[in-house]
Amino acid sequence: MNVDEPVIHTHDVLIIGGGLTGLRAALSVFYAGLDGAVLSKVHPLRSHSVAAQGGMNASLANVPGEGSVPDSWEMHAYDTVKGSDYLADQDAVALMCREASATVRELEHMGMVWSRLDSGRIAQRPFGGAGFPRTCYAADRTGHNALHTLYQQVIARQIPVYEEFFATSLIVADGRCTGCTAIEIMTGKMHGFSARATLLATGGFGRVYSRSTNALINTGDGQALAFVAGAPLKDMEFVQFHPTSLFGTNILITEGARGEGGMLLNREGERFMERYAPESLDLAPRDVVARAIETEIAEGRGFEGGYVHLDLRHLGADRIRERLPGIRQIAIDFAGVDPIEEPVPIQPGQHYAMGGIDVGLDGAASLPGLYAAGECACISVHGANRLGGNSLLETVVFGRLVADAIVRDLPQYTVPQGDDAERAVSREDRRIDDILKKRGGEKAFSVKKELKDIMFSRFGIFRNAGDMEAGLTAITRLQDRFRTVSLSNSERGVNQALVRYLELEGMLILAEVVARGALARKESRGSHTRADYPKRDDDRFLAHTIASMSERGIEISFRPVSLGMFSPKERAY
Amino acid sequence: MRLKVFRHRQGMSEPRYDTFEMEAAPGMTVLSALFKIQEEFDDSLAFRYSCRGAVCGSCAMLINKVPRLACRTQLMPLLAGEQEISLSGYPAIGGPVSWDPKEDVLVEPLPHLPVICDLVVDMTRFFAFYRDIDPVFSPLDPDPEKERLMDPSDVRELELYTNCILCGACFAACPVDAKNPRFSGPAALASLYRFCIDPREGRRIERLKTADTPDGWWGCEFHANCRQVCPRGVPPIVAIGQARQEIKKQRKEGEEM
Ligand SMILES: Cc1cc2nc3c(=O)[nH]c(=O)nc-3n(C[C@H](O)[C@H](O)[C@H](O)COP(=O)(O)OP(=O)(O)OC[C@H]3O[C@@H](n4cnc5c(N)ncnc54)[C@H](O)[C@@H]3O)c2cc1C
Ligand code: SF4
Ligand code: FES
Repeated sequence: MNVDEPVIHTHDVLIIGGGLTGLRAALSVFYAGLDGAVLSKVHPLRSHSVAAQGGMNASLANVPGEGSVPDSWEMHAYDTVKGSDYLADQDAVALMCREASATVRELEHMGMVWSRLDSGRIAQRPFGGAGFPRTCYAADRTGHNALHTLYQQVIARQIPVYEEFFATSLIVADGRCTGCTAIEIMTGKMHGFSARATLLATGGFGRVYSRSTNALINTGDGQALAFVAGAPLKDMEFVQFHPTSLFGTNILITEGARGEGGMLLNREGERFMERYAPESLDLAPRDVVARAIETEIAEGRGFEGGYVHLDLRHLGADRIRERLPGIRQIAIDFAGVDPIEEPVPIQPGQHYAMGGIDVGLDGAASLPGLYAAGECACISVHGANRLGGNSLLETVVFGRLVADAIVRDLPQYTVPQGDDAERAVSREDRRIDDILKKRGGEKAFSVKKELKDIMFSRFGIFRNAGDMEAGLTAITRLQDRFRTVSLSNSERGVNQALVRYLELEGMLILAEVVARGALARKESRGSHTRADYPKRDDDRFLAHTIASMSERGIEISFRPVSLGMFSPKERAY
Repeated sequence: MRLKVFRHRQGMSEPRYDTFEMEAAPGMTVLSALFKIQEEFDDSLAFRYSCRGAVCGSCAMLINKVPRLACRTQLMPLLAGEQEISLSGYPAIGGPVSWDPKEDVLVEPLPHLPVICDLVVDMTRFFAFYRDIDPVFSPLDPDPEKERLMDPSDVRELELYTNCILCGACFAACPVDAKNPRFSGPAALASLYRFCIDPREGRRIERLKTADTPDGWWGCEFHANCRQVCPRGVPPIVAIGQARQEIKKQRKEGEEM
């Protein structure tokens, strides 16, 4: 089909992903005088980062806390480690928290518009699990403002961006990653990207679950690409469920809504968080609140269809209009409810992947030449549960630091020689042709729908061995059924069914990794709650789950957490 | 109800409209209807999407002849005639299409931009205008150790414009863009204005002048379609009006000096 010469693009550093992580990394590569390029399956501004609402944590101490001590990076680190249920690597947490204030200010210096206090300083609001009002915000559009700002910096420097290119495989030659193959979605042409170092910044895998707050494009492609290329994944069973997603579409209602004073009420009008977290109430960490809501619903105190109320009315019209304009619009547009007049119907939904590609403190994966940062990576700053506002922080901090590490390491990676990229392109070209030639069998959509439902019901907020065993069997059956899936559209150009097919292929692998990790972890910690092992077990599981691909299939092993300043304690809120 | 969808791909001599029958469930959006078509009836239908929450700007298209975000536009209110927007001086695109607004929802690509496939248009020209305004913060003073201070009320005014998601709906709704291929268009001018009013910005006056041209601030004919269709409440027309005032003031001050 593709008779013309393969097109190979050569760069020093290839960054796959144009969200906050990828764009920040691209700037550092540029500052170092190197030739970097960004590749993204959507226009960078359409990346999921744009949807982040609530804010970014940094101990600026612009807003005083309750006591007399000002906020500090150490307090931020403590909250993060405690929130992680002690599974986060404390060296990584310290690095992130120490860099946080400089990162927020760097964005401000790039022109980002943050909300301000009367003093003119960057405003901060309280967020779940934090001892101080530490979350810097831009109304409820923090991700939008940050992403547009970084995009402006990137285009001003004319950094090449390959828009609407879908990465289909990593190129591995002599045990080293030397780039990727990617299909140009609009033409269907396969391109090769040859690079001395490759950074994955491809975001989360929320869409493996039904009921997700994530963008529809968050299908975990990068994790699957890395895994198939031989790089292990870490802590994949830790999936965060956000307590408040809008009933129906599961669009996120930011924690900022509770930070501003919003209350959760069950069908009886009771403020039920008083029973689950008497101290921090509605602002207890996400895992605690999500479990509380699920329990209320399961015990019949939810509303028909499975939701509870988030009541904002007492904040008053002015405060809602000023602080939560986006949330108000979302509730009106997508649920027909004006929070000034009525409570908002909410239910927990999948929100964030704490796990990801196993990388060290410098962002390097075990495959030489391959790096990962942002939500697709697990450098482990979130452990078993991420605190709100820490993920945006992670993307910008590690987008920068990992790019700096690549710049440092680059001299050891020579320019890839030989025709590995050409060979990879022809291999992928044939693979695509074969997929397009398949006929009969099932439609991809039914397999995908079943997968998502299984993930939510068997590997959701509450888990147990029986459910998960059944879930794993169902996943492997879906993997078999997937082999027969065919597409009706056999065009190469603008074939979204093909893109969806390639995404689903990876999602089926990630689902199995989540399942096997969740089964192997016989304890409850952070977001991973097992009815059959209700207690945290530090003797056996104060350790990261490492999933690797072997000839026998997916194998699970454990690696100790790096502890430090804070020793594990029981987590009470 | 029926969804009547514009179809065109390379190799087709001319576009056609495909009609899909479906039940409009309450809350169902045009985007979810398009997904339903793609998944169950015709997987070759092409349209852009990402966030499904009206924040990423991917899915602007012409719905019942008005540029809107597909993910934010629900079918039932459209059929009930609740979401009518009448645009000024706006030539309908394409050939004559008949549709019954009580039964049909008509979905077409954004006008003024070349169609790549079905509902997917080539946004190059739109983004070129955005790049042309040099949308990057450029302070005069070196970065301070901490943040530059800003008055909360200045932030509120800036936010009106930083809210733009670059979806292109206003560009598609603008009668001037339809006839003048050089007119920067509402979104680019609104973005430029954002830099003109940022108190931290170093080149405010200079920037104001960059669009002091017939294809910049002065190209606008104040149809106000941009403000009507904008899904984020951005008022490009207000920006343009204020920029013109400011320029006139500057000129006058220049004369007086
Ligand atoms: C609704 C919502 C609200 C949130 N709010 C907050 C908040 O207030 N504070 C906070 O700290 N965190 C928040 N988060 C989390 C945070 O937004 C994300 O974790 C973060 O934005 C991820 O950024 P990223 O750069 O890693 O990836 P993304 O922004 O997801 O970008 C991924 C990039 O990779 C590209 N890509 C993916 N696959 C491929 C492929 N196969 N080929 C080519 N390109 C590919 C995509 O095109 C995209 O450009 C929120 C999350 C959600 C769901
Ligand atoms: S001003 Fe409004 S309509 Fe125009 S591109 Fe921006 S968000 Fe879209
Ligand atoms: S899908 Fe993002 S704006 Fe519609």
